[in-house]
Amino acid sequence: MPTDNKRIAGPEDSISYRLFKETSNESVLSKINNLKNNIRSDGRKTNEQRKIFLKCGVVSQAKGSAYFEVDNTKLIVSVYDPREIPKKTDYSLKGELFCIFKYAPFSCPNRRGHQQDAEEKQHSAIMKRALESAVCRHEFPNFQVDVYVLVLENDGSALSGAITAAGIALAQAGIPMYDTITSATLAIQGSTKLLDPTLEEEALCTIATHKSDTETGYDSHGIIVLAILSTHEQISEFYQLGNLNLDTLNESISILMNATKEIVPLVEKCLVDYVNKTFKANGQS
Amino acid sequence: MNLCEAEKTFILHGVEENFRVDGRERSQYRPMELETNVVAHAFGSSRLRLANTDVLVAVKIETDVPSVDQPDEGKIEFFVDCSANATPDFEGRGGEELATEIANSLTSAYRSTKAFNLSKLCILKGRKCWKLYVDILLLECGGNLYDAVSLAVKAALWNTDIPRVLAVNLDGNNVEMEVSDNIHECVKLDIVPAPVMVTISKIGEQCVVDPSAAEEQCATASMVVAVSQDRFTTVLQSGSGSLHPSTLRESLKLGLEIGSKLDQALIEVLKQKPAKKQIGFLM
Repeated sequence: MPTDNKRIAGPEDSISYRLFKETSNESVLSKINNLKNNIRSDGRKTNEQRKIFLKCGVVSQAKGSAYFEVDNTKLIVSVYDPREIPKKTDYSLKGELFCIFKYAPFSCPNRRGHQQDAEEKQHSAIMKRALESAVCRHEFPNFQVDVYVLVLENDGSALSGAITAAGIALAQAGIPMYDTITSATLAIQGSTKLLDPTLEEEALCTIATHKSDTETGYDSHGIIVLAILSTHEQISEFYQLGNLNLDTLNESISILMNATKEIVPLVEKCLVDYVNKTFKANGQS
Repeated sequence: MNLCEAEKTFILHGVEENFRVDGRERSQYRPMELETNVVAHAFGSSRLRLANTDVLVAVKIETDVPSVDQPDEGKIEFFVDCSANATPDFEGRGGEELATEIANSLTSAYRSTKAFNLSKLCILKGRKCWKLYVDILLLECGGNLYDAVSLAVKAALWNTDIPRVLAVNLDGNNVEMEVSDNIHECVKLDIVPAPVMVTISKIGEQCVVDPSAAEEQCATASMVVAVSQDRFTTVLQSGSGSLHPSTLRESLKLGLEIGSKLDQALIEVLKQKPAKKQIGFLM
């Protein structure tokens, strides 16, 4: 990737001021203990998702686009028409998806660069894998569909939100698909499983803690993202981080399956509304 | 490699009968060859050959400044290089996507403190730490790269000697360290809990482990699970394709079982290895 030298990159090694805030180890531990006792800072139940707002057709230039918002997590997905795969010598029978997942520079507590970093690249790859099994790729051989995700504000569960929104955007763009795709995130700390975690909860669930003050063994902790094609009951992406045992994982799959099912009617309604609106507009003209 | 429909059906039927093309059962691995301490200039190295897959891993150590938000932890970085020797597809930037995917999966598998404790790599809190560069070279691809790479990485880290730091002085803002000049006086890392990855491919209705390159082409979906001491550190899907929830549960169970066995076998082999070959008349 050629470096973009027209942009001011900011100082090379700057340090977030947040690190100098007076936070002791105990405050982190007490927060984790709160989570373990099923108390969430925003008062939600552990298996309660935040309210989702969905809208499609937000970018007029794009073939399909969607806006996704849960509380403070806000993101835009746009999908552009199929175009020939650039720099490709051989013919591929199946079309391809090209995903770019990007956090806006101002979307996270720490500033993000303009170029994709390792995490964003990994998220792009996960999205690509998740969406590829939802799209009828044989319908556009040797072509690629571009999917761009821009996270405007990140307050946790951005990746699963992006997958859900990308499903809507692809549908609006008229890309042939097998099914609607929905996705949800689950964060685990100890025996507590938090659905749709916020950024803070995500951070707390990546820390390994001791089972209790007396024991030396570590408790389970981790984050799981699951994307599913709901009518076909096909899991198109399963991604887990942390340290979990088989039972926890099995329980989590059931929780996430239910959570993703709850999102499906919202996605359908969003698309139906869009179709109705377009028909009405066409009828009037 | 491109397979025709007839070849695919042949492989599929073999898997169905629990008798694969190379005579294996569904949950059986191909024979492996492991060598450690093969690269002279590295602090630890290993070479793993899994049938036609050949991986060379070397660990280099440098000192670095710990990151500000993790002042008492060292660093580890994985870098995968897909040599064009392996397949012509890797020529130029062709292998880049696969390389970042493998490197990312290793990074997430080693991220949990329970799997790999980075605090052992800290020399002086907030000032100095060791940074491990794990360089992975794919010499030949015969399928099942994730498993081969993770095993080779674990063996190389097991083999790694970290120089013993005798004293650390803080002179103003400068950190001075005194490192033991006896090359045999080294510190070993605790690698027992390091994760081992297992790829499970769904071919037809069945799940198989250790798919060969031909079998990978017939797979409808593949899962990679990283197992560390009977627990999962990372689960991800490799390649596109989707699974039914029951298949997912089944493959997770199979992955855990195989992963634990594989891990045990690897540790047994590594423990057998003589600590150091003594060559020459002076030692």
